[in-house]
Amino acid sequence: MAAVPEYHEYFAYRHYPLRPPRIVDGADPVRHPVAIVGGGPIGLALALGLARHGVRSVLVEADDTVTYGSRAACISRRSLEMLDQLGVARDVLDQALAWTAGTSYYRDVPVYRLQMPMDENQRFPPMVNLQQCMCEQVLADRAEALADRIDIRWQTKLASMAQRDDGVELALETAEGNYRLNADWVVACDGARSAVRQALGLRFSGTTYDGTYIIVDIHLESDYPTERRAWFDPPSNPGSTILMHKQPRDIWRVDYQLRDDEDPQEAVKPENVLPRVRSHLEWIGERDDWRPVWISAYRANCLTLDSYRHGRVLFAGDAAHLVPIFGVRGMNSGIDDAHNLAWKLAAVVQGKARDRLLDSYSAERVFAARENIRHASKSTEFMAPPSAAFKLMREAALGLATKDPFFATLINPRQTSAITFADSPLNAADSDALPAGPVPGAVLAECPVESRQGSQHLTALLGMGYTLLSLTASDPRPTLAGWPLTGVWIASRQTSGADAWDATGRLFPLYGAAPAAFYLVRPDGHVAGRWATLKPQSLRAALGRALD
Amino acid sequence: MLTDQELDEVYTQACYTMTEVGEARTPVFLARLALLLMKEVGDSRRIRSAIEAARVDVST
Repeated sequence: MAAVPEYHEYFAYRHYPLRPPRIVDGADPVRHPVAIVGGGPIGLALALGLARHGVRSVLVEADDTVTYGSRAACISRRSLEMLDQLGVARDVLDQALAWTAGTSYYRDVPVYRLQMPMDENQRFPPMVNLQQCMCEQVLADRAEALADRIDIRWQTKLASMAQRDDGVELALETAEGNYRLNADWVVACDGARSAVRQALGLRFSGTTYDGTYIIVDIHLESDYPTERRAWFDPPSNPGSTILMHKQPRDIWRVDYQLRDDEDPQEAVKPENVLPRVRSHLEWIGERDDWRPVWISAYRANCLTLDSYRHGRVLFAGDAAHLVPIFGVRGMNSGIDDAHNLAWKLAAVVQGKARDRLLDSYSAERVFAARENIRHASKSTEFMAPPSAAFKLMREAALGLATKDPFFATLINPRQTSAITFADSPLNAADSDALPAGPVPGAVLAECPVESRQGSQHLTALLGMGYTLLSLTASDPRPTLAGWPLTGVWIASRQTSGADAWDATGRLFPLYGAAPAAFYLVRPDGHVAGRWATLKPQSLRAALGRALD
Repeated sequence: MLTDQELDEVYTQACYTMTEVGEARTPVFLARLALLLMKEVGDSRRIRSAIEAARVDVST
């Protein structure tokens, strides 16, 4: 929305040139297996995911840089696992600020202490802060380095599109002329105002909240640790709610709620924003000089398409769904979309699966969007009360929470967490009743293991396709020759021939391996099936739910 | 004792119900709710202590 006049870049933006293809009769003569519309974090993550599975894509992006301004700010542990598969988790972690805790205040009294799930089994912190533009740059650098598999068309805009039975034709516009591009599959990653969604005449359904938040990024050097801080009705801004997150490069992200009687158009002007920020910084004891970097207005939306597959056109990220920012499910859920779609679309393009596998993408991710909306709505109801009743009850809860921790759980911001696809068509029946462990549709629980390569984490052992994790005391690995999967044998103790072993003694109980357990894991890390004893027909049937 | 999840759900149900009732009649709704919960608690000592706790910091 509105950048402040003195807008400063977060870092030195790279400007990419327009690289038009060879054009024959007004068209790109290459028939592309996949065209991705939108080069934001979701489009880039999808292109990288497809490339990892050996599928080429062309990516169409209207701008010549990564995004401007303050957008997504937090990356979840689950997203870091996915970014790791794309080869960029290290680059993200090198720049990001990790955090595990937060404090909520009512007036000047701390009333709730947020503790994100963190234990000795984890490979990644529960949350890191990094500006979206910097995360995007990491993805763009990686994608540009894979030019043989990812063809990014910067400064290229979608004008219109036509879908036929066997493919999609895009009409593209550039400063050096327009051309048509044909692809077998198109994925819309073009954000909240998706041109693809409009071209297909599709509409979101759901709710829009009235409350408006102002988003301000400021440059401030402060030693205050990285954590989530929220103030309800602070003396610095009576009646308002303020959030603060520390970002890399001495940027602080400040979000605050407008009163119902304020006009957002007026309220977003620097002369109205800066005094409030100043008042708050002074009150919390930040005395150093600061300057604004970005200001925009935000309103919470709970909107989704009913299906993310429309023939040969698929939707991901904000093009598919909008969730409120409270709980940081926006970019994180979009990265999850790309992660879910990449292996499925690759399998279809490569003839390993029928296109109905893409229907499971839609079913799983529409379910995820509804779950995300449900949780984010709860956060929003507390952060931006949608009626006088919610406001009244919040005042009561906050006031009681200062004296009685029983009420403090109502203040929990309900941060994003991995979603279990309990009813996925890809799940095998869970008939063996393992005493513990992730159920079909859930993501793996992290745990360190020892391997011949040294200490590793379980999720790092997964293969490119399906993986069979065999947890057995000392039996030799199951014979998997000819099966389209990676076999990983984890023994209970160091055993010759085992890929890894449970050196901590925590893995076997965590996975209900008493004495043995077999987990079939999808390429995206969700469990497809699990058994106490492995029968080839069960394994074949489970794989057959996805692959031909 | 209510679980966190149960507290969350009944809190939200109360919010939605009050939204339907409307601001003007919300005090009456809350008074009726208080009376019904007094009956459920059925212990005058605990009810008196809750009344005292509710009273703290309410006056401005």
